[in-house]
Amino acid sequence: MRVRLTYSYQVVEKPVLADIILKTGLQINILEAKVNAQKGELVVSIPATGRELEKILAMFKQAEVEVQKFTKTLHIDQESCISCGACISPCPTRALNFGPEWTLEFDEEKCVACRTCVDACPVRAIALP
Amino acid sequence: MVLTAEEMIKLVESGGVEVAAKEVDVVTSGTFGAMCSSGAFLNFGHADPPIKMTKCWLNDVPLYKGLAAVDGYLGVTALSETRGFEYGGGHVIEDLVAGKEIELRAESYGTDCYPRRHVETVITIDDLNQAVLLNPRNCYQRYDAATNSTDRVIYTYMGTLLPNYGNITFSGAGQLNPLCKDWNYETIGIGTRIFLGGGIGYVIGEGTQHSPKKGFGTLMVRGDLKQMKSQYLRGGVFHRYGVTLYVGVGIPIPIVNEKVASAAALRDDEIFVDIRDYGVPTRPDLRPVVKHVSYAELRSGKVTIGEKDVPSSSLSSYKMARDISEILKKWILEEKLLLTKPVELLPTQREFKPLKIKEKELSVRDAMRTEVITAKPDDDVKDVARKLVQKGIDHLPVVDEQRKLIGIVTSWDLARAIANDKRKLADIMTKRVITALDNESIDVVARRMARHNISGVPVVDASNLIIGILTTDDISRKLIEGGRTTV
Repeated sequence: MRVRLTYSYQVVEKPVLADIILKTGLQINILEAKVNAQKGELVVSIPATGRELEKILAMFKQAEVEVQKFTKTLHIDQESCISCGACISPCPTRALNFGPEWTLEFDEEKCVACRTCVDACPVRAIALP
Repeated sequence: MVLTAEEMIKLVESGGVEVAAKEVDVVTSGTFGAMCSSGAFLNFGHADPPIKMTKCWLNDVPLYKGLAAVDGYLGVTALSETRGFEYGGGHVIEDLVAGKEIELRAESYGTDCYPRRHVETVITIDDLNQAVLLNPRNCYQRYDAATNSTDRVIYTYMGTLLPNYGNITFSGAGQLNPLCKDWNYETIGIGTRIFLGGGIGYVIGEGTQHSPKKGFGTLMVRGDLKQMKSQYLRGGVFHRYGVTLYVGVGIPIPIVNEKVASAAALRDDEIFVDIRDYGVPTRPDLRPVVKHVSYAELRSGKVTIGEKDVPSSSLSSYKMARDISEILKKWILEEKLLLTKPVELLPTQREFKPLKIKEKELSVRDAMRTEVITAKPDDDVKDVARKLVQKGIDHLPVVDEQRKLIGIVTSWDLARAIANDKRKLADIMTKRVITALDNESIDVVARRMARHNISGVPVVDASNLIIGILTTDDISRKLIEGGRTTV
């Protein structure tokens, strides 16, 4: 499950993620990170589901880190897409690829909703609602 | 026998080129890519009372109006005056072809014969007398690929290029590309009947920048927009670069001899281009070559640069190129498109020359100041502040004993340091300094300053020794002196 973690300035200097990794032993993967003195924003992939996932999310919340699950995902308008490939190599997580017959394919699991492809699409066929 | 280029490749692989040359009559090619040198001649007809349109817009996109009263040329890279980068001439062409209503606005100074000064109406493609797609340069034979060595994302006409060789983009259909299939310019020429934008069009000569000796041929093409389909003419946006038109072109290659047959069977792994570094803002042919690669490597999705596997992807659509080669094959078999013999073949001896600049380009050397006031990292903040005030400057490079640049402070840094009661310069200076070299163009450095939101840069030599300083004030002073009014 991909999750966005937002650290306010009160907690930005605390090693919340490291603590949770040490406590749970889970390999939480950082996909994206923007951190400065005022605020931190991480996109992480947590290899857990169901109750275990909820437990981990609760640990973040208890450490006063705001948690937001990635429920929204890219929408590719297949009618409009010309399968050019302009979105493929700029994608930092390799979520876009050519399938058979050179048609664009999207791997939702890898997407971190960074919007790079939205801007890179010449025919504006990709939207992030 | 009519084969698509992909089928021709297979036949030559299995049966050899001699057999293919005998058995195959025509090979169909195709490409679908962004082609910025495209546009349409439009004739609106006369209003009553009539107007000599001196300025004209379609959906707020300006047309070229240096023509007769109601003729105009709509170029695909023209930007909408209200929607900017999101809509342009290419989009108007797509919308026209799709049958959509388009707002027409025109202005004039009024004459005895054309008294009207203003017109505002709504038109569709059916209302136009002529709508002729006429593209000065389409169908590049090959196109150099792009990457980016700098440490920031750049937005180019080759798409989004990630920092530190983060990706590679390329364009062209390679083994399906029309001019790759007629590599020696033996069949395509003026009058060749082609698939253009989903309708029938013609090659009307070499394209601009046609460079046959180097294997970078181009075509000028024309076709009736009214017969075309919007699926094969798509307005496009290159983020922070501009707008364009994706054009679908397919050209039949009559297999007139074995040499043509063998060119028509060229594969992606036999067609090579350079990968160039778009991070260096020089003339296109001077952009450093990073690697020489085949279309097969580029299309594989990954190219190795040094030790690194770099993702590569196309900007033009191979899928659409393939569709076009299939449609063209069908058209020929159904006799919907009859092959023509060109009146004249393309020139094989042209050169693509760069623009000669008579006036010397302003470089950093011309505008920088060489008497640089500097500070040492151990200096006291208050002394330094005093120095700035006395000398009336805003930027103070910090150097070591050898005069090598190690930091910079501005008057703003000092104000903040004094407010926060910091004493030593080393504690407050910016260590990652944006610099310039003395032989760089002023335009390039001005853009760098704007990007980093700074008003001055130390000028250093190759060993980071400080040799000057350049501020926005220096640039504006130089421009006024030199009579230039714009940057």
